[in-house]
Amino acid sequence: MSTPVFSVEGLWKVFGPKADRIPTDPELSALPPADLRARTGCTAAVRDVSFGVRKGEVFVVMGLSGSGKSTLVRCLTRLIEPTSGTIAIDGEDVRAMDKSRLRELRRHRAAMVFQHFGLLPHRTVLDNVAYGLEIQGVGKSERRERAAEVVAKVGLEGMEQRRPSQLSGGQRQRVGLARALAVDPEVLLFDEPFSALDPLIRRDMQEEVVRLHREEGRTMVFITHDLSEALKLGDRIALMRDGEVVQLGTPEQIVGSPADDYVREFVRDVPREQVMTVRTAMRPASAEEAGNGPAVAPTATVSEAIEAVARAGAPARVMDSGRCLGVVDANALLDVVAGATGLAVDTDRLGGAIPTAAGTSEELV
Amino acid sequence: MATVTAAASRAVIPGILKVAAGRKLLVLALAAAILVPLAHTRWASGTWPTALTVDLTTPLTDTSTWIIDNRDSHPLFLYFLGHVSNAVVLAVRVVYLLLLAAGWAGTTAFAALFAWRVAGARLALGAAAAFLTCGALGMWVPTMQTLALMVVAVLASVVVGALLGLAAGLSGRMDRALRPVLDTMQVLPAFAYLLPVVLIFGIGVPAAVLATVVYAAPPMARLTALGLRGADKEVLEAVDSLGATARQRLLTARIPLARKELLLGVNQTIMMALSMAVIASVIGAGGLGDRVYQALASVDVGAALAAGIPIVLLAVVLDRVTAAAGDGTERTGRAGWAYALVAAPAVAVAGRLMGRLDWPDTWVLNIAEPVNRAVDWMTAHLYSGVPVVGGTAEWAGRFTTWVLDPVRDGLQWLPWWAVLLVVAALAWLIGTWRTALTATLAMVAIGVLGVWEPSLDTLSQVLAAVAVTLVLGIATGVAAARSDRVDRALRPVLDIFQTMPQFVYLIPVVALFGVGRAPAVAAAVVYALPAVVRITAQGLRQVDPAALESARSLGATPAQQLWQVQLPLARRSLLLAVNQGVVLVLAVVIIGGLVGGGALGYDVVFGLAQGDLATGLVAGAAIVCLGLMLDRVTQPTDRRTKKGA
Ligand SMILES: Nc1ncnc2c1ncn2[C@@H]1O[C@H](COP(=O)(O)OP(=O)(O)OP(=O)(O)O)[C@@H](O)[C@H]1O
Ligand SMILES: [Mg+2]
Repeated sequence: MSTPVFSVEGLWKVFGPKADRIPTDPELSALPPADLRARTGCTAAVRDVSFGVRKGEVFVVMGLSGSGKSTLVRCLTRLIEPTSGTIAIDGEDVRAMDKSRLRELRRHRAAMVFQHFGLLPHRTVLDNVAYGLEIQGVGKSERRERAAEVVAKVGLEGMEQRRPSQLSGGQRQRVGLARALAVDPEVLLFDEPFSALDPLIRRDMQEEVVRLHREEGRTMVFITHDLSEALKLGDRIALMRDGEVVQLGTPEQIVGSPADDYVREFVRDVPREQVMTVRTAMRPASAEEAGNGPAVAPTATVSEAIEAVARAGAPARVMDSGRCLGVVDANALLDVVAGATGLAVDTDRLGGAIPTAAGTSEELV
Repeated sequence: MATVTAAASRAVIPGILKVAAGRKLLVLALAAAILVPLAHTRWASGTWPTALTVDLTTPLTDTSTWIIDNRDSHPLFLYFLGHVSNAVVLAVRVVYLLLLAAGWAGTTAFAALFAWRVAGARLALGAAAAFLTCGALGMWVPTMQTLALMVVAVLASVVVGALLGLAAGLSGRMDRALRPVLDTMQVLPAFAYLLPVVLIFGIGVPAAVLATVVYAAPPMARLTALGLRGADKEVLEAVDSLGATARQRLLTARIPLARKELLLGVNQTIMMALSMAVIASVIGAGGLGDRVYQALASVDVGAALAAGIPIVLLAVVLDRVTAAAGDGTERTGRAGWAYALVAAPAVAVAGRLMGRLDWPDTWVLNIAEPVNRAVDWMTAHLYSGVPVVGGTAEWAGRFTTWVLDPVRDGLQWLPWWAVLLVVAALAWLIGTWRTALTATLAMVAIGVLGVWEPSLDTLSQVLAAVAVTLVLGIATGVAAARSDRVDRALRPVLDIFQTMPQFVYLIPVVALFGVGRAPAVAAAVVYALPAVVRITAQGLRQVDPAALESARSLGATPAQQLWQVQLPLARRSLLLAVNQGVVLVLAVVIIGGLVGGGALGYDVVFGLAQGDLATGLVAGAAIVCLGLMLDRVTQPTDRRTKKGA
């Protein structure tokens, strides 16, 4: 596997007096958050987090309010200075960068989209979008030209001369997105970009991100507290609680085999048939079954398979480039819906290595 | 942190308040029980004991003499202060000559076109009308003198204020160091600044300009710092996330984001500068203020009014135009500016060619005579002997005999330690032990300086004026809060009154009441009223509607609603109104020294007039102490926390 875009090892961020001692002190670092605060007055916003972000994937970090998501994503470009641990971008140590190198990283390699947009109110849409280029010293006509292209890409043609105050929330966030895209970064970082928006607008914007990702294949780190958003956008999801990553895996792994009760509670209301793929319910095909029946792709969701099975009245074959991997029948599919089948049950049969906790996440990198 | 919890628990359980207040009083009583007998046995005396004063006259006179002797030879003057002084004189002269060279037509056209660009057509007309009126009153040259001084002082204040504000906005340590200084400067009367600059620069234009700068720069510094600190955190984070350098961040984000505060700062600085530029006539500023000052000295109300009206017009125009510029209603279009930039010089050149640079004498309207006739008539008919109501002079006389004299005599009769105790107790009950300590020490300093008696005289005037101001102001504020019609009717009046420089208030009161302490108090009341009305009305209007609604649903009468819900809930605003009222009243009571108010204000004027800087400086220091004491005594506990937020 190629080197990850971001790779994070043992990252800590502790707020408070004499924060440095906490990650290194085995006794203090093991304390639960409330005790730590009582003993030292410090808050460990990020505790011993490790993960890698692969090129071209959407990596989602999810967790409840206060779980340390924003802190984590800001540590990636040192908008917040980490307390300890290592961060590398394309193999280069971020924490060792000097000021100018760090500026270079922020200017060209990672751009961020903020929850409350962070637009400059005294500038027009076009100048806001061109701002990143202006910071880089790009000439006026060139940066305006490039900004105009990006403005069109996010669907804001005709609004170039408006001020942020004359835009709706959704439009403002499009400006925020365009500003980040205009510098053509290697990675896009999103900090809960849509949580200030109405549900309908939010869906539009999510689709916009999906479209952009499909068209450009840009690597994204996406912070959210909304599980359905995470499942919709994420290739992989890291679930955080109290600064720690409690589970890291694909949406299917998170829903199908929650690592602990916290995660299970989190995913309880998820419509499983829309997340789980047919692999979960698959069993080896008998010779007769392998020959006929409706065909579904291995990435098809259970709900799609149910539709196919119901229409044909027979088990469906899971076909991967002309090869039959197995079949799914109505009973097995219904078991998934009912929650009787967990991914863990199937793992050994499918031979996949499924990490269930943060500790083993490195394997995925 | 402690103050926050204290305020919170106070709101919840009034019982705690009683306990806390009781504890504070108990501590004070204990301290008094030990200290007072000691003090009493050693220095038994009603007034401040001479044993405890330090006579500063000799060292101050020596200093003053030394400065006068060395002004032309000492390196400090030769290489620094001398240059400052020369630069100021030169700058004022250049601006003044430019204004005169533009002629009255050119200057008026320039003012109108500028107002048009930044504030629209209506204010352009207003500006033109104001300038023409100044000319018509025969005040063109003094107006230009004042304007020239103002331009230089405002530019310097804005630069100094913005730099200080920048430092405080960017560095937390600088902010913590500057804030108490600026807070204190804000509450000091203008007169306190006159003597120190005169000591260094002597009477003249440099002293006037520098006093103005010192007085007018603090609001700019405060608002700059406030604007820079108040910038949206996420915007700044976004700017950082794009890799901006510190310089880029400042120039492209922080300063533009603070635009509103910066323009408000400029507006306030201009208003303060005008106010001070007029007062500084007593230290050689010349111009309109000087005309008023001279006229008041000879009780020539007509001449004072002729110079006073231009001051008011300048104040209103400057305020409206700069406020409109800060509103954010941006007028784009370079064509308009280009037009304005061509038109103004064109008018100036045309005026030159027609030989009409100076305001034509035939166009001068002499209002002094008719006004003086009216004043004479008033003196004859309204001063006294009006059936039933008496007369204005009689009122003034009675106010002096029945209110001012007893209060002053009472204060001076009180043993000095009792005064200190009362000050400490009041300050502690309203504020914290820190404010109490500052207030008491300020009072002690007054005693030590040997100006106990005149300070108590000033204090008595302040107390009387504050009492009247609060009664009138709170009543009017309540009326304005309860009726939209009253509020609408009052608003323009308050707007005008709040923009007028302090000095101007002396003119009508002299016309009505003659000279003495009562007119000074009257001027102070009129000056402080608008702020008190405003704050009271605003505070009452901000009372939670839900609380009122529930009171109404319980069947409370309007009076009950006012006394039991609105006033208690608006407590913080009322305290602020008292604080502002005290600060504003003090400023004018001191200036009242010019119209027979006597006491500390008179000492300053006397010191200036007689060249007796020692007396003036000591009085100035006492004014500072008195201002500090009055501000701290009335300072609510949470002012600091609120400002910090
Ligand atoms: N500057 C700071 N100083 C002290 N504590 C902080 C600071 N910033 C964040 N924290 C603490 O760190 C923890 C994590 O905060 P963070 O903002 O990263 O949470 P989050 O997951 O982004 O929450 P949300 O969903 O509400 O945005 C919280 O307990 C917060 O109180
Ligand atoms: Mg957050």
